[in-house]
Amino acid sequence: MKFFVNKFVKNREVTVVLFLLILFSLVGLKNPAFISPSNLMLTLKGSVMYIALAIGMAFVILTKEIDVSVGSILGMSAAVAATMLRNGRGLFSIIIVTLMVGIVSGLVNGIGVTKFKIPSIVMTLGTNGILRGLMFIYTGGKWVENLPDYFKQASQKNIFGSMNAFVFFTFIVMIVIHLYLTKARRGKYFAAVGDNLEGANLVGIKVNFMKILAFVLSGAFASIAGMVYVSQVGFVGNVAGNGAEMTAIASCVLGGVSLNGGLGSVLGATFGAIIMNSINTALVFLKVPAYWNNTISGLLLILIVSSDALISRYLVTSAIKQRLSVKTESNGDSRKEEIGGEINEQI
Amino acid sequence: MSRFKKLLRWEAALVVLLALQIVVFGMINPRFLRLNVLLYSVNDFVSISIISLFVTFVIITGGIDISVGSIIGLSSVVVGILWKMAGFNIFATIPVALLVGALSGAINGFLVAYVGVQAMVATLGTMLLYSGFSLVIMGISGSSAFEGISGMPLAFLNIANGNVFGIPNPFIIFAALIIISYILLHKTKYGRYVFLVGINKNAARYSGIDHKLVTLSTYILSGTSAALAGVILTSYLGSSRPDLGAELTLSIVTAVVLGGTLITGGSGGVIGTALASVIVGILRFGLQMAGISSQYISVGVGLLLIIAVAIKGLSLSNFPRLRKLLERAIRN
Amino acid sequence: MAENELNQNSLVYLDDIKKSFATNLVLKGVTLKLNPGEIVAIIGGNGAGKSTLMKILMGIYTPDSGDIYIDGEKSSLLSPSISLQKGIYYVPQEPMLFPNMTVEENVLIGMKGNRKELKHRLVELMKKLGWNISLSRTADTLSIAEQQLIEIVRGLLRDSKILILDEPTSSLTFKEIKSLFKIMRDLREQGIGMFYITHRLTEVFEISTHVVLLRDGKITSSGLVADFTKDMLIRGLLPEDIKSSIEKGDMVSGSSCDYSKDSVLELENLSGYGFKDISFKLYPGEILGIAGVVGAGRTELAEAIFGIGEIVSGRVLLNKEDITGYKTVDIVNKGLNYVPEDRHYNGIFSITDVVGNMTSCSLRNLSKFYTDHRKEKEIANKYIQDFRIKVTGHDQMMKSLSGGNQQKVVIARMLATMPRVLVLDEPTRGIDAAARADVYKIIDQLKKEGLAVLLISSDLEEIVELADRSLTMYNGIINGEFKKEHIDIDKLMAASFGVLDKEVI
Repeated sequence: MKFFVNKFVKNREVTVVLFLLILFSLVGLKNPAFISPSNLMLTLKGSVMYIALAIGMAFVILTKEIDVSVGSILGMSAAVAATMLRNGRGLFSIIIVTLMVGIVSGLVNGIGVTKFKIPSIVMTLGTNGILRGLMFIYTGGKWVENLPDYFKQASQKNIFGSMNAFVFFTFIVMIVIHLYLTKARRGKYFAAVGDNLEGANLVGIKVNFMKILAFVLSGAFASIAGMVYVSQVGFVGNVAGNGAEMTAIASCVLGGVSLNGGLGSVLGATFGAIIMNSINTALVFLKVPAYWNNTISGLLLILIVSSDALISRYLVTSAIKQRLSVKTESNGDSRKEEIGGEINEQI
Repeated sequence: MSRFKKLLRWEAALVVLLALQIVVFGMINPRFLRLNVLLYSVNDFVSISIISLFVTFVIITGGIDISVGSIIGLSSVVVGILWKMAGFNIFATIPVALLVGALSGAINGFLVAYVGVQAMVATLGTMLLYSGFSLVIMGISGSSAFEGISGMPLAFLNIANGNVFGIPNPFIIFAALIIISYILLHKTKYGRYVFLVGINKNAARYSGIDHKLVTLSTYILSGTSAALAGVILTSYLGSSRPDLGAELTLSIVTAVVLGGTLITGGSGGVIGTALASVIVGILRFGLQMAGISSQYISVGVGLLLIIAVAIKGLSLSNFPRLRKLLERAIRN
Repeated sequence: MAENELNQNSLVYLDDIKKSFATNLVLKGVTLKLNPGEIVAIIGGNGAGKSTLMKILMGIYTPDSGDIYIDGEKSSLLSPSISLQKGIYYVPQEPMLFPNMTVEENVLIGMKGNRKELKHRLVELMKKLGWNISLSRTADTLSIAEQQLIEIVRGLLRDSKILILDEPTSSLTFKEIKSLFKIMRDLREQGIGMFYITHRLTEVFEISTHVVLLRDGKITSSGLVADFTKDMLIRGLLPEDIKSSIEKGDMVSGSSCDYSKDSVLELENLSGYGFKDISFKLYPGEILGIAGVVGAGRTELAEAIFGIGEIVSGRVLLNKEDITGYKTVDIVNKGLNYVPEDRHYNGIFSITDVVGNMTSCSLRNLSKFYTDHRKEKEIANKYIQDFRIKVTGHDQMMKSLSGGNQQKVVIARMLATMPRVLVLDEPTRGIDAAARADVYKIIDQLKKEGLAVLLISSDLEEIVELADRSLTMYNGIINGEFKKEHIDIDKLMAASFGVLDKEVI
């Protein structure tokens, strides 16, 4: 029984893909337009931003921390990118500067958490507020509009026929990162830090460095998500990115990235992000009013997190019980060896 | 130094900060210093103040509640819908709204204390869930979430907008709740249990204290207070809306932490929270009076939060190389 | 001159290592050497400083003074990665694997080099060991014994020249221990040196070349294992003036317990996780000692009685009333209280004052709804006086009290509930001599007042001094019962280490 429970928890990627397939099949039955190739591609396009956020968030959660500032990093990055676009700057410098927004934010978060021992909840809640305000100051409260067409069209470009370019690159990047995290020597350090902090320290992993790196990556990916936002939406309003961190965390959790650290993959997080996005569109196609979105997403998140907590608690307490039982059960063996040992000694 | 003395020092500093604030804003705009302006300014931030009083309980047990913003909206919607759609007497909707708040808090507490979900994440999920409920209720009833429900009777609007002997009602409610929460936290056995559970859950357990129940109860308190704030806010604005209070969460947490309560739990108090919430609230109000948009406040509030926690947790042991340097310098 | 030669040849040379934590001096000048091909067994009681010493070697702590030479070279082991580089590998007592990673990943993590090559070496090693564990299993599915084996494999694969094995056999079966020892002998031939920390004296004679006795932060004796006998080891573990302090006897009244009365606490075949088939009776005015080493199951037993741990079968009777499986608060109300073993984790409310700590268990009896601070202060002051607790005032913060005074406060807390039975779990661990004397006086007073005391202790002197009767536990079962006349430190020690000669009792 414990074996199957383990399998379910461990191979969440499989479960999540299954869930996705079931979701699409059920909705598709009710409304076949939902599973038309063009709509599928549309859904994937809409998920790109959330996938980027989820991938970044996954790094942080793997190390057993949390980052609730990614929404405002996204907003700030979008504002910066859009403003630079409007002012006619070169694409290269736009990308660099925007990435710096996320990297610096992540660095600040990471240092606050590791060196100043501020709980990541509080630290990132604080930077969230700061960035949200800074964004407002930066844009002067006005929307950033009238952006050059070439950037907006980038999100619509197709390659290989009807495959959206952004979607394609997202999947390539996701696969590369997944392989890195699961196969590369240093890549595994993230999960190690979250899985067993003391154990990671004992085998010589620089745990503080890994945590800071995780926050930096989370910030960088939020910046990338910001640029995707600008391209797809075409303008940057005041509330860009608000609440996006919730969706990112939910995507990770759905995809099997455990909040206790050390478990999960960006593969799962990606599918989790697709699910979160698909629920919204699915409701539209099912002619369910949009106001059900939050309720369903919230319920899903709570159910997943609760079962995560219950399962891991069960596994831990049964491990402890086993540890203790071994001692009393070994009494039979050791008695024999005591007798055998003593006889040998007397000889 | 005993715990009391340390806390008093912090609270004294807060009083000074508050006085400073009033003086500075008064210099920018003398209208600020008029007594009735100051008193009425409370209306603006009374939700933050009321809720942070009871979120203090939650944070003392080592948890956090970020769903309070959504509970505000939910309670507002309950009031509006029951009154408009179900024909309730509007005053009869208030106990129902409070009950809904208590129930929401109970769900939070159950998830955190009994299921074992981390407080941050559990209340993140319920934040979505409760705001979802608000939207669904509004949606099903056919009302528009954008416009909200309005047209409430004057008596109801007077809850927030009326006054007794010139003192605005919300101020009275706030003062009363300060007294109640102070007694509850600092003068009753229950309050002592809240502290003990927050200081050392295990030792509380070995002392025969039901730490799960105590934890659960703190979330019920914060949920109910959020519902109360929702009622007051609805009365103040004259409109029942599902998005009421959504952006207040950061300010509430900041008020609690700034007020001297440790984010890791076990130490804190309502007086500090009350003072800090006033500081945060007046900051908001004062900036408006000075003609600065209130958006800038989130920068200041965010900074305040980080610095407050950093100062409290600062210890030289986090910087081992620096410490060795200093030790060597001292020896020489 | 000769010393330098010796240093150069040795793998590890620790020279006069001192280490203290806050005001507590844990290592008082330890000098230790390990040469290639040696297995040095380190034995010592709880709190002797073994793990602190090893953590210094591992780079987790740095010594306050003293030098470390690795391979003849003076070294500063500032972090685990530096220790690893120097070829030191620590196999912890509790496996520190990564639960969500596979066995292969757990072993190879952090190792540089070609993946395929490393895996190949790992497979070869596992074959040689004869340990049949699939490399693709995740660590959390492994039994504790298997996890321990993997920890050892980690060290072996890293070509470490110095292995520290911390009680590696505590969860292994007979067969697994045999194959571990065979590997250790192979490693000896390869010139690898090992530190072997254990409580099991038979193993010391079976596998180690040298033995070191650590007591109270100092090495009391060391040398070739062949030069020692079991008795010598046991003697060496005992504190110095033991005879004289026993004869002192002025701390304890020596009044004997009236066994004709009804038992106040009775256990019938109580079994749970970590203990099996425990049965005994406790009488009013009696001090019943339970001796044993850490891990013998005594704390698990006490916690199960107290409603914290789980009871699988059997019964607990308090004043003839069945309280098996009752909730803690009910057990306290019925008259049994427990002073936890780990004062730091389970006993102390550090960031509140002495009053708060004293009344946490009895608040519900003091008043109905509100706290009566005056009554609380009265109680606190009474115990501060009676127990001679050194505080600046009842409002002093708990965390600034010394260990001894903290312990007195916790004992006072439990006594404030007026129990009939008090269970004390390692009550004098980590406290200074004066406080210890005070605690003994307190316990003696309780006995005079007719309280029944269950005294769980690894400090055998303590049991000899205080107990009317003593049980010993080993691996979760009771393996000895001694009446007062027969309570003898040698026998208690032997029983605790599982080497009780059958004829004795």
